Amino acid sequence: MIAKPGLDGHDVGAKIIALALRDAGAEVIYTGLRKSPEYIARIAVEEDVDAVGLSVLSGGHLDLVTDTAGHLADYGGDDIAIFVGGTIPAADNDALEKAGAKGIYNASQRIDDVLASIGRLLTA
Amino acid sequence: MLLDTKQRRELARELSRIANASVDEILGIDETAVEVRARRIGITGPPGVGKSTLVGAFAKSLAAAGRAVGVLAVDPASPYTRGAVLGDRIRVAEATDDAHIFMRSLSSRDANDGMCNNAADLLRVLEQRGFDDVLLETVGVGQAEHAVKTLVDTVVLLLQPETGDAVQALKAGILEIADIVVISKCDLDGAQRMRENIAATMHFGANRNGGWEVPVLLVSVESDIGLEALSEHIDLHGAWRDANADRRAVEAERAGYRLRDLLTRRIDTVLGEAAGSIAERDVAAVYRWVVDRL
Repeated sequence: MIAKPGLDGHDVGAKIIALALRDAGAEVIYTGLRKSPEYIARIAVEEDVDAVGLSVLSGGHLDLVTDTAGHLADYGGDDIAIFVGGTIPAADNDALEKAGAKGIYNASQRIDDVLASIGRLLTA
Repeated sequence: MLLDTKQRRELARELSRIANASVDEILGIDETAVEVRARRIGITGPPGVGKSTLVGAFAKSLAAAGRAVGVLAVDPASPYTRGAVLGDRIRVAEATDDAHIFMRSLSSRDANDGMCNNAADLLRVLEQRGFDDVLLETVGVGQAEHAVKTLVDTVVLLLQPETGDAVQALKAGILEIADIVVISKCDLDGAQRMRENIAATMHFGANRNGGWEVPVLLVSVESDIGLEALSEHIDLHGAWRDANADRRAVEAERAGYRLRDLLTRRIDTVLGEAAGSIAERDVAAVYRWVVDRL
């Protein structure tokens, strides 16, 4: 599932990743804009997805990953992997990983590399 | 019926298990039936007509009346990569805040008939869980979705204004499967004229339908028009069906669909094994080889 938490309204990146995942053979649910971490977690559990990809360009990535992970656990979805992508300074990577992000991506990465990384992390 | 957090997680996992089940796994399912009372409602219609929007608003209106609603929403898989983007969630976002509603998005995967793999079994899971209404939203490929007619009790066909004249309405195909026609976006110009055209065409088919006069309803989700009437007409159709349809023939047709669905997948598997040599052998030889392998 590709999700847009928070209030930033830029979803070109989210849609491109959704399409790239589709072309790689994945079934992708796109949530649409401005969803709360609670909603995202609830829907991820209802749809029984393998992974949630959060697209964040607002700077709120750490809070949003933390909240999503917390709500996923509340709904019994702590086995669902979290990925995060967007405008994320490398300095935040450690904190994001501690908060539960399995993979962290930004706009300077090639889509093929992002897909390969997601595939690797999900099958590991 | 309300599902708690744990039950929702379990149901989600069970639906995945069924959706992913191989032919052999489906054949191993315990088919002990539980008495059910769900209305099985199919929502179909051409792409872009507003199926997801209607499903979301309709589910919400049913939930507001105290009914538990299960939704299966099918979107198309790519025939090239088997990947899919399932977008129905975007349109029904508000509805899914309701604890009375449980929704699952599905890719059509191997199915070519507007359904998904193991559709019959997925519907059964929701029905046996005790939902009052089970909504099945089809892919919306247009004139090839007869499977939905077999699997549900009432087919709601969604059309929108200004998408075809009176001659279009005469063509065979999707109109024939409708038990109820809904003209969506009915606050647009041309809705009333379209309703009259469709109603006149449907009237001619009433004898073929065993006497059921297909109602043509005007609905606008945006202006909150017609959703209660839709539910009432589904009840009317259900009552008519109870009085007139041969329940055993319906069950036989559903069992036949399920069997054909499983056989089709088996055929696809065997054809896949033969793929390398199909072009080199004559069709009669390959046909016999495939039949022997089944």
